[in-house]
Amino acid sequence: MSNNSREEILHTIRKGLEGVGKNEGKVLADANRNFHSEAEEVHKRIDESQSALIMQFADELKKVNTNVIETGSKNEIKESLLGLKKEKELKSFSIWESQFLKEINLKQELKDAGLKLVTAKNKNRIANSDIGITEVDYAIADTGTLVLLTDKNQPRSVSLLPPIHLAIVRPENLVRNIGDLFVILKSKLENIEDITSCMTFITGPSRTADIELSLTLGVHGPKELFVVILS
Amino acid sequence: MGFEEVRFEQDSEKAIHNKPLQKALVNVTNRFRTARNKASEDVPNWDNLRAAAREIKKETIENLDKYLLMLEERVKRAGGKVHWAKDAEEASQIIVNIAREGNVKSVVKSKSMATEEIELNNSFEDAGIKVIETDLGEYIIQLAGEHPSHIIAPAIHKTKEDISKLFSAKLGIPRYDKPEELTKVAREILRSEFLNADMGVSGANFAVAETGTIVVVENEGNARLTTTVPKIHVALVGIEKLIPRYEDLSLFLTVLARSATGQKSSTYVSFITGPKRSTDIGGPEEFHLVLLDNGRSKILASEETRESLYCIRCGACLNNCPVYRKVGGHSYGWVYSGPIGAIITPQLMGIDKAPELPFASSLCGACKDVCPVKIDFPKILLELRKNVVESKKGSTGIGERFGIRLWRFTVEHESIYKITNKLSYYFQLPWKGRNGKLNSLPYPFSRWTDQRDFPAVAKKTFRERWKNNKGETG
Repeated sequence: MSNNSREEILHTIRKGLEGVGKNEGKVLADANRNFHSEAEEVHKRIDESQSALIMQFADELKKVNTNVIETGSKNEIKESLLGLKKEKELKSFSIWESQFLKEINLKQELKDAGLKLVTAKNKNRIANSDIGITEVDYAIADTGTLVLLTDKNQPRSVSLLPPIHLAIVRPENLVRNIGDLFVILKSKLENIEDITSCMTFITGPSRTADIELSLTLGVHGPKELFVVILS
Repeated sequence: MGFEEVRFEQDSEKAIHNKPLQKALVNVTNRFRTARNKASEDVPNWDNLRAAAREIKKETIENLDKYLLMLEERVKRAGGKVHWAKDAEEASQIIVNIAREGNVKSVVKSKSMATEEIELNNSFEDAGIKVIETDLGEYIIQLAGEHPSHIIAPAIHKTKEDISKLFSAKLGIPRYDKPEELTKVAREILRSEFLNADMGVSGANFAVAETGTIVVVENEGNARLTTTVPKIHVALVGIEKLIPRYEDLSLFLTVLARSATGQKSSTYVSFITGPKRSTDIGGPEEFHLVLLDNGRSKILASEETRESLYCIRCGACLNNCPVYRKVGGHSYGWVYSGPIGAIITPQLMGIDKAPELPFASSLCGACKDVCPVKIDFPKILLELRKNVVESKKGSTGIGERFGIRLWRFTVEHESIYKITNKLSYYFQLPWKGRNGKLNSLPYPFSRWTDQRDFPAVAKKTFRERWKNNKGETG
């Protein structure tokens, strides 16, 4: 049944487009763009303006109801998290097992501070953890957007199910705009099979205005978003 | 959403007299309009972006067969399954079958116009499968047993008092009156639905042929939950939602968010390629892409109206349409409202089912000016009007044709034109009201004056004034 429909739909499309077909061979014909050299150029531009980008990124985050914590050192990350633990009365946390977070040994330090680690393997338990901690793969300065790629160490639900999401951004994660981001992503897309099952853009905490256009935060996703910017 | 026949005249009459609706319409359309205008002015080369987006959509639609096959191949390579549905019934059947095979008891849905189009909820209910809308606006609408009235803000026709009463009656909870409290109630109920659901159904804002990625844009996070938590994810996607290349997304996401709500970026954008990989923790084990035709492929045959398929469903044309702003979404009789509804409903459902819609426009072109892909609405509306008239379902009767002939005869003869001009001043006098305007003309002109006044014919004609003033203004 479905197979017949496939042929039928394609047939109707082709019939409808008869005489239009001048674009033969134009499909995906932008091969003259060299994303490797474009990406090099983009990285150069980003490096030239990094400190301005950090400021712009922080400003944009604040505009979308995000709490920004700017810190100078890895030690300060831990301290601000402990401050948050007290302020929000956090009891448990879930966290990515990604490389940078391992390097700074955050998981162990939070456990030592008395927070209970919740494994990301169980959706019900992760939904009941008080905070989800991630880093980011990229951060878009001109929109205040966090870009998270899913892989075996970076489960999707850590930034989604707990009521608070905290993300750590390093200067090297920053790109100027979404155009930069896709140039970089495309330059790394050697093999279609390598693409992540899920990339997520996050710009501020979950929001709705469905009741009389009144802005309400935390309708489904995290109610609060904290972004730690390392500088 | 049940579809029999559009009754625009009847339904818009009701809408115009519905005071809370009128207030809500002003609020929502003004809010979105202002935000969109500001957001588009912030981008220095906004019109170039629109032109580029249009160019890419044109390329996509004119090569749709090739891009669909590419998308199919890439989704399969990523481990997903692809289904083709020629109409609403087949699409519902495919999705219900996926649910049956997966032994699904309950389904969570994120907002999708395509699922509204195929009335998917009815099919699930008929099959004894529980289905819950999770977008807050859609959840409210589902509880009330109604239909969305705006693409972006589906429950905008309801006041918070309406919603408070509804929640209390349907959910057996005390009355809460603040939007934050009502939102919190919905969050708690829906969160447990998410955690218990076996299947999530989403739509998509874009499907990228090159990578097999579907893109879902939202603010609430319910689409992330729908596509992440249940073990099966089904995406129902109209075949016109394709874009060719991965990097095209940077352009389309920029124009979509700004055109829809005036945000620089929507809160969440999910880029989903296939099911979870074997090493991923969490994410759906099965991913199904259902490609929906339901009349779209037929539109391709008309060169004049083909560009109706460029639409990215931002809703900007609704917010800027003087007709939508008065009559609201329900008057358009089906899931798509405003100018985009006026052009695609007759084309998808058949012009004989919605002959009034191409006429539900003043042809002012505000829709075209704000459209992020520059769809030429007035041109398409005129083409469809022509089709309506030719199919003899239209509003031109003997009277209208006679009237036009009479008009033509008059303007072709100068002396008659002059006399008619002069006489019309005296003929109108019995209907002239105190405000100096015509406020109750006999049928068929009463169709105008029932709702508003008609300016009176001046005593001196333009030609006389011109002569007196010797061509000077004043």
